[in-house]
Amino acid sequence: MNPVAAVGVVGGVLGAGAYALAVLDGAAARGVAGMPRRWADVVVEPARDAALLALTRRSTTERPDAQAWALAPGLLAAMAGAAVASVPLAEGFAVADVADGIVLFGAAMAVVMVGVYLHGWSANSPFPLVGGYRFIALALSYEMPLALVLIAAALPAESLSVGAIVASQAGSWNVVRQPLGLPLYLVAGMGLAFWGPLDGADGADLAGGTAAEVSGPARLAWELARRFVLVAVALMGAAVFLGGWHGPVLPGAVWMALKTLALLALTVAIGHRVARVRLERFVVVAWAVLIPLALVDVFVSGALAL
Amino acid sequence: MAPFAAALAVVLATGVAVLATRWLPTAVPSELTAPERVPFLGGGLPEVHAWSRYHVRYYAMALLFLAFDMEMVFMYPWAVVFVEEGVLALIEMLMFIVILVLGILYAWREGALRWA
Amino acid sequence: MGVIRRLATRAEAPVFPVVGAGGRLRASELALLPGIRLVGTPRAASVLLIIGDLTPALVRPALTVHDQLPSPRATVWWPVGADRGLLQAWPGLVTVEAGDAEGLRRIFAGLVEGRRASDPPLLLDIEPARWRGEGPYGQGGTGMTGGVPFGRPLPGRAPDPDGLELDQLPLHIGPLFPPFPPGLVLDVALQGDVVRQASVGENPFRSWPGGPDPGPLDTGAFVEALTTPTGVAELELSRARHHLRWLADALRVHGLSALATRVARLAATLAPTDGPEVEALVRRLRRSRSLASATAGVGAVDRPAADLPAGPVARAAGAGDDARTDDPAYRALGFEPVVHHGGDARARMHQRLGEAVQSLELAGRAGEAVRAPGPALEGPRGPLRRGRPTPSSALVALVPTALAGSEWGDAITTVVSFDLDMEEAALSEVAGVHS
Repeated sequence: MNPVAAVGVVGGVLGAGAYALAVLDGAAARGVAGMPRRWADVVVEPARDAALLALTRRSTTERPDAQAWALAPGLLAAMAGAAVASVPLAEGFAVADVADGIVLFGAAMAVVMVGVYLHGWSANSPFPLVGGYRFIALALSYEMPLALVLIAAALPAESLSVGAIVASQAGSWNVVRQPLGLPLYLVAGMGLAFWGPLDGADGADLAGGTAAEVSGPARLAWELARRFVLVAVALMGAAVFLGGWHGPVLPGAVWMALKTLALLALTVAIGHRVARVRLERFVVVAWAVLIPLALVDVFVSGALAL
Repeated sequence: MAPFAAALAVVLATGVAVLATRWLPTAVPSELTAPERVPFLGGGLPEVHAWSRYHVRYYAMALLFLAFDMEMVFMYPWAVVFVEEGVLALIEMLMFIVILVLGILYAWREGALRWA
Repeated sequence: MGVIRRLATRAEAPVFPVVGAGGRLRASELALLPGIRLVGTPRAASVLLIIGDLTPALVRPALTVHDQLPSPRATVWWPVGADRGLLQAWPGLVTVEAGDAEGLRRIFAGLVEGRRASDPPLLLDIEPARWRGEGPYGQGGTGMTGGVPFGRPLPGRAPDPDGLELDQLPLHIGPLFPPFPPGLVLDVALQGDVVRQASVGENPFRSWPGGPDPGPLDTGAFVEALTTPTGVAELELSRARHHLRWLADALRVHGLSALATRVARLAATLAPTDGPEVEALVRRLRRSRSLASATAGVGAVDRPAADLPAGPVARAAGAGDDARTDDPAYRALGFEPVVHHGGDARARMHQRLGEAVQSLELAGRAGEAVRAPGPALEGPRGPLRRGRPTPSSALVALVPTALAGSEWGDAITTVVSFDLDMEEAALSEVAGVHS
């Protein structure tokens, strides 16, 4: 694909996805809180909040690491872009459907760890620092289930390319063939974007965590980057587990959009209903329960693929 | 070459776009005074820098993660050739995984996962 | 630019609340007001909202937090009760009637549109820690390290249970830290993300020149009931409301802020007919595995239940003392204290949920029953006996031992589970008279 067109497509997809995510989040928050939901307000709310952030001054702390602090949101967004690059948005339409798209996704998501940690560490303030280190503990724990369930999805396709995995779901979707895959993937995905129950990095008990010292356009950049990562996770999940662009009647791109929105809505709903995990409890659960389940997923789907 | 160029362009463009948001010229610039730059401690004042030799309590778990990461490196090509190789490939990888799972059990019993 | 300003004017006003004396009740309703969004850090806020009266010890922290707000910023004051005059010297303060969200929004809109000037920084621009040493990085001076790097010292080392010697941050977490009850000052030695030691600092609500002011506490109705005959239904309804307000704060700390708003609304409009709704909520929270795992085993105090300060905390550990069992009005209604076992944060949450359901049920059955004033009354945090220490002061004493050795998230869960009120803790004894 032409690089300029690729940038336009991915920018549009990430931007629209992030806005849709913000709208879904606002609607879910109002629904759970029992507040009246006026759709006109809910739809414009993210734009209003972004405008307010644009007008606010960017804060800094006494002795931060200014370069790393500035770089962190950019790094997160770049990795979200890299993750989206290998996902086929419609039949045969991917920015870079490389032969090892799964590996590219895993690598990009591992660098997200660096971005979030830098964002917490650079501020030279206690609460962001604790948030950054907590995120790494969670990240090391969910990386394994993430990689394993993606490999399990690659087995029937005999290829690591996301396009091939989507093509292999022409008969039945992976969410049906590998029922353990999507739940584990969602847990890992929420951890990647430190969303909801896995919000160790920016939790309320740390007064905002890594975002505690960030204001103005820098805060806007961080919130955007975080939502880009979640949208990338949802896109990949839709491609790998929900059959990608397969679907009757409507064009492939529309189906991808609908499936991605469905995953985003599910993530948002979970975020508003499940309390934040305790760090040690989650680490033990990830290593003692989630990884064995992911391994079972790999071997069962391997046996079925033979 | 073309997919690589497109992917690289996407990565750089997304990164630069979000990076550039930080310097949006919409806010009123002003020099921040020293009290405006104090880290937030609920109204308290900091005595020391936050940068420190932080006790990363999960260092044992990080070693376990390294072991599994190396296992991932083997599983990626295995996934591609798995169907052609048949049941033998399944059994061999199963043996490999069992050894590593024993590693998790050992680490769990030794308390690497306690206190994260 | 005009489009951005127009959009921003209609955004929800991000507000950082500073809760002073007498302001706790108003603060609990903040989340319910339309057009206002509560934020957890001053950097995300545009408006500093001072609710109630600032004691002398709260002024400096409030000024520190004010300067941490990014411009454009404004300060709004919701006075509650008598004004001691400390806020008259605050330049640019706008006084709005307490609870007036519209007024606050008008100020916010003016701020964003540019009609209203942003608050200038209020503290003097003095570097807090001067350079020592001669070179640009603090090097070359006298002393062992030749100077203090970057003006502030680096943290010192302390031994650690792993046998290592790693750095320990001495943090003075001030009275305005959002997860804590307002006024709680904690001096914490944080090693990594574990609290090695914690001690409670000077209570800012004690700092009035004439001594602590027994102003409108959030348990005011109970203190009044010590001397005036009060209807049992009214008392139990207040108790249920109190527990639900506590629940809203606890849920917010656990990351469920939308659910917290729902609970806060329920608390604000609670009537005895809301029994089924409250029961459904309680059932759902009891079944929630995530809340259970976040609170189970956290914050248990290593003392036998009989040694714990009486109240929900002791009843959650198994000690069944409740001042209502000696009260004839309650005995007539067949009151039996709710008791849980475990003494951890989860037991305390279930205890308060159970008591809320029980109180609502009692309020529905009590009808016109009136409770005669007596020497002791079971308040929502513990027994109130005239002339004896307040329940919060006894609970505050538990905080240092309960927090030692906890991971940060667990420490916050523990503090929240105690349900402290620093204003009540500032009183050395329960006054029989509500001023």
